[in-house]
Amino acid sequence: MSTPDTNDTSASTQTSESTTHFGFKQVDTSQKVNMVKDVFQSVAAKYDIMNDLMSFGVHRLWKRYTIDCSGVRAGHKVLDLAGGTGDLTAKFSRIVGESGQVVLADINDAMLKVGRDKLRDKGIVGNVQYVQANAEALPFPDNSFDIITIAFGLRNVTDKDKALASMYRVLKPAGRLLVLEFSKPTNDMLNKAYDMYSFHLLPKIGQLVANDADSYQYLAESIRMHPEQEVLKTMMETAGFEQTTYHNLTGGIVALHRGFKF
Amino acid sequence: MPFAQLMTSGIELAMNQLLKLDEDSQQRLKKLSGKSLQVTIKELPWPLLFSFSEQIDVRAVMPSDKDLEPTTETVDCLIELNLETLPKLRDSSQLTQLIQQKQLNLVGDIYVAQTFSALLKDLDIDWEEQLSGYTGDVVAHQTFASMRTLFDTAKTQIEQGAIELGERLTQSDSIAVKPSEMFEFSKNVSELRSDTERLSARLALLEQAKKADTGLNN
Repeated sequence: MSTPDTNDTSASTQTSESTTHFGFKQVDTSQKVNMVKDVFQSVAAKYDIMNDLMSFGVHRLWKRYTIDCSGVRAGHKVLDLAGGTGDLTAKFSRIVGESGQVVLADINDAMLKVGRDKLRDKGIVGNVQYVQANAEALPFPDNSFDIITIAFGLRNVTDKDKALASMYRVLKPAGRLLVLEFSKPTNDMLNKAYDMYSFHLLPKIGQLVANDADSYQYLAESIRMHPEQEVLKTMMETAGFEQTTYHNLTGGIVALHRGFKF
Repeated sequence: MPFAQLMTSGIELAMNQLLKLDEDSQQRLKKLSGKSLQVTIKELPWPLLFSFSEQIDVRAVMPSDKDLEPTTETVDCLIELNLETLPKLRDSSQLTQLIQQKQLNLVGDIYVAQTFSALLKDLDIDWEEQLSGYTGDVVAHQTFASMRTLFDTAKTQIEQGAIELGERLTQSDSIAVKPSEMFEFSKNVSELRSDTERLSARLALLEQAKKADTGLNN
């Protein structure tokens, strides 16, 4: 398996008009949505436990950091895009309270169902809506949300520029977008160790726990193909976001990008 | 590693676990539902933001958010204090006094701070009941009975020891020889010795005189 040296450094993530990447493979653009869907359909049931295993629980701290940087408060309307099993939604729901609203959106119905069941079991009802939506064409009116988060979801989107533009459209003026996503480690040694872990250990853990090595091979590959920090920042600025910044977490394994709409 | 989030995660987990162990705390927590409280501890780099619902959510106000720090418009109460003052917050009746003494800055609704303080102070956890969930009633009861006995015994021993020590100190003080008494005693002993030596010398003289008289008569 050949591993590209760096993450995508071009501002556009589309490889050509008709093809795009699915991990390290080139596939028809029209196929990627269904291929990603199959991956998440397969891992939905074990998604939470795999996240804990793969990140040694640190993903919970990355998500907390995202919420801490969101400036969320009672009464806010929040869109948790690619919200999966609802980790961010659970906390947002309690903070925005009865006067606020959280929309948990995901393109994958299996993930959405797992998230909905989990949140309802926790007693989180009332101010949460569940919407199956494609990030590239969000089914919401303009200027609808105070905050949009997309945690570990953007790299799976076929046309990231289109998705960022769609997010910009539905964000209220003075609202903010937070993109939490795997990125490029800033230290070479860490980068090498991370590569070893991702390409050799991760698929084995996936096989052992979720009985699905291929999906976790895709996960590792999709992380490498995702735009690195500066590129994603530029993409956000191109979409119209202002005061765009990013903060590396755990040596750049993950980065949180933040941009405002004014 | 996001250390601020690690810390807030620990605080949040501990608080909510403790609240779960006291059934009545949910009623007290309801009074705070929908409210928020920001606590700035001067020794910590990040202010802590507490949001209340059916549980407590704890967040760190990140340094990059300085320009967006919640004010009284976005949080219901904002308090600023140092670590030394923190334990005093357990007594909600002291809040006004602490503000007067300038140990505590409070902006916003004091009721939120008082209710939060009372929520923590009034926690009443039946630890024996909690342990019985894991070990069964008998083991839990015996463990706590033994601990209580041990505690009572230790307490009694310490109290008894303190009393005995006090008594000994008092008694030894009353029988101890004062310097003036020692001087008087020494003086008396010297006089007695002198008197005894004088008497002994006189007796020796009398014995000699007697022997001399007996010798002449013979």
